[in-house]
Amino acid sequence: MNKLSEIPEKIPFKVPDNYFEEVNRKIISATSGFDEQVRKVSFYNKFRTSLLIAASVAGIILISYTAIKLLIPDNKKSQVSEVLSEINPDSFINDIDISSLEEESSAFIPAEAGPDVSKKDIIDYLLFENIELNDIYEQL
Amino acid sequence: MKLSNNNSDDNISDLIKTDLNKGFRLLVEKYSQKLYWHIRRLVILHEDADDALQNTFINVWKSIGNFRSESSLYTWLYTIATNEALTLINKRKRNASVSIDELESYFASSREGSTWFDGDEALFKLHNAILTLPEKQRIVFNLKYFDEMTYDEMSKILKTSEGALKASYHHAVKKIERILTDD
Repeated sequence: MNKLSEIPEKIPFKVPDNYFEEVNRKIISATSGFDEQVRKVSFYNKFRTSLLIAASVAGIILISYTAIKLLIPDNKKSQVSEVLSEINPDSFINDIDISSLEEESSAFIPAEAGPDVSKKDIIDYLLFENIELNDIYEQL
Repeated sequence: MKLSNNNSDDNISDLIKTDLNKGFRLLVEKYSQKLYWHIRRLVILHEDADDALQNTFINVWKSIGNFRSESSLYTWLYTIATNEALTLINKRKRNASVSIDELESYFASSREGSTWFDGDEALFKLHNAILTLPEKQRIVFNLKYFDEMTYDEMSKILKTSEGALKASYHHAVKKIERILTDD
């Protein structure tokens, strides 16, 4: 045999049983999954900056709201809403009772650790301020 | 090679534009076997052909939006499949894990074990002779002899002139016939 034309044109390779049904299914399912994945990733990439800005704005609003809730007494909240309705930041600041604000806030602000002083130091300081010794002992 | 029913390339191209998933499914069903055999003749091993075929369709899916309907779907698919097969062959060469000699011995043992080879003595000799061809000649011979592709279609896939392809096929046939005669 020396002529190609004498050889039957037949595919001589074998494939596993049901290979083509399986591979078609695999390809379809892989590309469907890929499509979903690409769409999800594309959506995130496309709106990433906007999402970050929106999250930052939401965070600032939440912190501001929480601070107002905690720091401003109830009787002043009405004033705040009035002020907000007027949209006048200057009057808003002037109407707040700063002293009451400090009282309220002191409960939430941890006291700063003071210098390490002994009783003797305190007594010496009070004597220096011309306070009667009896008064001092009464306070102790 | 060209079909003129509702599964024709034109209908598939049109369907892809209106219903991508359905069009792609038809494309896979129509071409998976043809492309598999084309790839398998080049890479020989079933596992390699399987990988290359799946990569081919994944690449088709990724770039289907760029496909221009004025070009032939058939040649576009064969171009991607051929590139996938060549990429795999080059990877094998770089890794040097499977040489052509090893492929020949695999081919012989597969045929003896009848696991993957289903042909007579003449077919076995033919495929051993094809394996001795240089890579480009092997592709040209396979596309012309088995896939009955025209030189015009081949030149679009391989980006080579029709004259060069004709010469390549002529040399391939001569070499194969010489090997068959010597045997």
